[in-house]
Amino acid sequence: MKKISRRDFLYCSAGLLACTTPAYALWPFSDKTESPSIRASIRGKVFKGDAPDKLWKWSHEGFSYKKLKNSRVMCNICPNHCVLSPGDRSACRSKVNLKGTLYSLAYGNPCAVNTDPVEKKPLYHFKPGSKAFSIATAGCNFRCLNCQNWEISQSRPEDVRHHELFPGDVVKEAGRADAQSIAYTYSEAVTYFEYMIDTARLARDANLHNLLISNGFINTPPLLELCRVLDAANINLKSFRDAVYQQLNGGRLQPVLNTLKTLHEQGIHFEITTLIVPGYVDDEDMLKQMCGWILAHIGPDYPLHLLRFFPQYKLDRLPPTPVSTLVRFRELAMEEGIHYVYPGNVPDHEGNNTYCHNCKKLLVERKGYYIPEYHIEGNQCKFCHTIIPGVWV
Amino acid sequence: MKNKSERAITRVVITTGISSVVTQLLTIREFLALFSGNEFVIALILFSWLILGGLGTLLARPAGIHPSRATLNRLALLSFLLAALSPVQIMVIRVLRDIFFIHGASVGFYPTFAFTFCTIAPYCLILGFVLPYSLFVIRAKNPDYPGIHIYMSDNLGDVAGGALFSFALVFLFTPMQALAFANLPLAVCTFLIFKPPSQPATQGVLFTAATLAVLVMCVYFEKPSLAPEEGGLAFYKESRYGRITVHKDREQFTLFMEGRPVFSSINIRTAEEAVHYPLSQIEKKDHILMISARAGMMGELAKHHPRTVDYVELDPALTSVLFEFNLIQKIPALHVIHRDGRAFLSETDKTFDAILLNLPEPETFQLNRFYTSHFFDLVSRRLSPDGIFCFSIQGYDNYLAEPQRRKLSSIHNTVSMFFPHILMLPGEKIYFLCGNRPIEKNIPARLKKMGISTAYISSYFYGNLTDRRIDYLSALVDPEVPRNTDDSPRLMNIMFSQWFAKFTASPKWFIITLIVFTGMYLFRITREEFVLFSTGCMTMGSEILVIFAFQVVFGYIYFQIGMIVTVFLAGLLPGAWLGEKLSRQGRNVLVLTDCMLIFLTVIFILVFTFGKEMLTASSFLLFGFSISLLCGFQFPAAFHLRGADNVAAVHTFSADLIGAAIGTLITSIVLIPYAGILWTASGLIFLKLISLIIMVNDNGNKP
Repeated sequence: MKKISRRDFLYCSAGLLACTTPAYALWPFSDKTESPSIRASIRGKVFKGDAPDKLWKWSHEGFSYKKLKNSRVMCNICPNHCVLSPGDRSACRSKVNLKGTLYSLAYGNPCAVNTDPVEKKPLYHFKPGSKAFSIATAGCNFRCLNCQNWEISQSRPEDVRHHELFPGDVVKEAGRADAQSIAYTYSEAVTYFEYMIDTARLARDANLHNLLISNGFINTPPLLELCRVLDAANINLKSFRDAVYQQLNGGRLQPVLNTLKTLHEQGIHFEITTLIVPGYVDDEDMLKQMCGWILAHIGPDYPLHLLRFFPQYKLDRLPPTPVSTLVRFRELAMEEGIHYVYPGNVPDHEGNNTYCHNCKKLLVERKGYYIPEYHIEGNQCKFCHTIIPGVWV
Repeated sequence: MKNKSERAITRVVITTGISSVVTQLLTIREFLALFSGNEFVIALILFSWLILGGLGTLLARPAGIHPSRATLNRLALLSFLLAALSPVQIMVIRVLRDIFFIHGASVGFYPTFAFTFCTIAPYCLILGFVLPYSLFVIRAKNPDYPGIHIYMSDNLGDVAGGALFSFALVFLFTPMQALAFANLPLAVCTFLIFKPPSQPATQGVLFTAATLAVLVMCVYFEKPSLAPEEGGLAFYKESRYGRITVHKDREQFTLFMEGRPVFSSINIRTAEEAVHYPLSQIEKKDHILMISARAGMMGELAKHHPRTVDYVELDPALTSVLFEFNLIQKIPALHVIHRDGRAFLSETDKTFDAILLNLPEPETFQLNRFYTSHFFDLVSRRLSPDGIFCFSIQGYDNYLAEPQRRKLSSIHNTVSMFFPHILMLPGEKIYFLCGNRPIEKNIPARLKKMGISTAYISSYFYGNLTDRRIDYLSALVDPEVPRNTDDSPRLMNIMFSQWFAKFTASPKWFIITLIVFTGMYLFRITREEFVLFSTGCMTMGSEILVIFAFQVVFGYIYFQIGMIVTVFLAGLLPGAWLGEKLSRQGRNVLVLTDCMLIFLTVIFILVFTFGKEMLTASSFLLFGFSISLLCGFQFPAAFHLRGADNVAAVHTFSADLIGAAIGTLITSIVLIPYAGILWTASGLIFLKLISLIIMVNDNGNKP
């Protein structure tokens, strides 16, 4: 009998290998509640050997990191705790290890600079009608499939066009733009922590407010340091299931909850945003659990924004969230005991207005970014004098 | 004269051809509905299909070396398996999509390729295997049986399958019904050749019944397999242009086309922007043309009291659903026209005060036609002097990435050839407002003056569209980025770059691997196999070239795709039949046909350059038929030269398939988007010149 040739062997092997893969067709019979896809996590990884050879003008030594053996370093800013060997780049793409020192490459080089209404952040209980000078550099410690700013959040600082605005310049520009606050936003502020905290310190000296718009995926020590100069925050609580966090965002739930607790303990005003993604976050039981946690750990006074999802970036094969789902969720959250719940991305909806949680009277009417009616005096309801949580004057 | 058994096997080969073409076309449609619908994906599927077919053919080699192993019953079992696998493959693709990938998320290039390759591998490998195996079964009893007859029978089945699908099944049946219908002849013909040693009737009936049961079960489970995870399936139809489904979640209806949500019942923002941005710019709004639409637009349009609204939508099935689910409202001035938008514009004499283009991103060649200089020129000629033209592309929140910037620049540079004033408004979508008069930025103020109330624009415009954001966008236009034309669709390669950037991927490694493997393959094949390789490349390359050139000349291509594909298949059969008569001329035939192929392509280039307007639809079909006739002609000659034994047959069959795979990929994703039509045609000439030189220099020795 003639022996099989190497060529035949390769062809047969390739063919057989290809044939075996559909055996995964049996997977639907496995448990789908926790992990509907075998790709359970999309968490970002360290980019080996991706650091530039030398630093550029917009570099700054890392704020919080630990030196390890063999010139390795561990970044301590966020719970990813990236361990970088010399020449590596962090999962957020903005930190590198050069010769045993951790550097941020996102310092003074924002790629997005705008002046926005503070309601756009969204912050409804912080100086309504004021303007926020908003900046962002490239990079993010998450991998959200529906990211609105993926062009910058999923890029390296060196790969984007950028302005040159060092901390002092940001403060000056904010003043020129007649903004009352500086918002660290768009991509993920935690990844440019060094730039943010230095700017925030100068802003505080210049009587400007500092607003953190973030996914809340930050370690407690740097957050505590930031809280010294922080005036308000909007934290994106993407889901109340860790599995969804891993699958859609590449993050974890618990560190975000820790952030909410820390902000509460530090007395920082913050608002929570949750995007109601159909099929993932539109679960009433999950919302109830989330509200239960909020009430138990931080109380009912922090406004909750429930945002309508629209197909975006990679998550573009899902329908938008039905408006009635948001309305139902808003009712549910308020029934559970949260005082202020707003539907987001639904123009002209009365739920965008602020009603006193005590007397139920209209306090702030919102038409988009306009405020036709305002009935808060100091920080109290004009009608029943209940203190309304937030920063109003 | 053929004996009974040979005739029975020939019938199986023909019905396999019918089944395989229908399966291939439906597999492509399935992938388009579940993955991205751009040319990269289509090319990947065709490439995988052909390369796996070639691999399957090579796998038959051991059976060719030992013909005694090739038995009728094994062929019958494989054919039963093919018939059953055909619908199962589609089901497997549907089920595995959300297991391997995240539900609701789109998928990048490499995962798509891996998934495509693996899921169609079982079917394609068997399909490729069966063709030479059928020949070996016949030759086991009749060693002199000419291999070319199997090739011709397969072609006959392919032509019949292509015609059956394009002219009947696509209009009449859902995918599973179509597959059940197309596989029925194969199951029956296979039953007729099945002759087990004992209890013939029982086993034959059992296998046939099992195959039919699979076909029926797949039909039964078709609708459940499409049910969405969010809400329920309110509507499902396979239109001739693609899959339309409507999902109902609470009060909201969302219409999906090819798996993407395109209309949703409540989206005030999009409707207001698409209507009021342009209409706020003009005083006279009597005649409006809408090419396609967005949900809720009609209600907004009615606020401007137009006298006529011509709404051009290609697919009657789509408009019927849109009205049924109130995604588009009927307003008194509305006139629905079922026509290709570009064809309508080139034929109408009417002048419009506003032309609103509401099509998706230019990510396919079909859609690219609405963003070329030719189309913008058409629009400018159909617009009243004070009229406004509006269209949009995907926007951004705070930063315009480089591929998007190049896309924006290319479109801007193209449209600015015909409109002196252009305003680009950033946001979720970037709106282009184009006219002959300066465009006003302060849209809320104009709407207020006109007495038109809005929910979104009046409340959010000033906060979202600051002067800084508008100026930033205008400043990003790069005048050096090439314009997008029909002949050279530069926007396509930008769109491909954007697609790759979204998934942080690059086709570099794929192309390098392809080049390496192709190089290795080419070094190992004979001259005759190279001729067939280049012929396969030429056939598929020309087919894609004709499909694209047809769109350039006529502005659209829909049903004609089916005709072109069928004509390309149809030419191979008489070509092979004629070629067989002259196959003893061997080398001369190959040289002569190569010369004729080159000559025909040169004629194509000349006519396309100097007499494009003279081209008719039939001239394209004639060109396609001639090319495939010549390619078919070459097969028997190469077969004859290569030798008539079984191993040679395997190699010649596979050379053709592998060439076709490479031709598909290179033409559709490299040559046409990067080099344009004329250079693509020149590339095919170059390939055939190499083939010609190789044959002319052939002194009878193998390389």
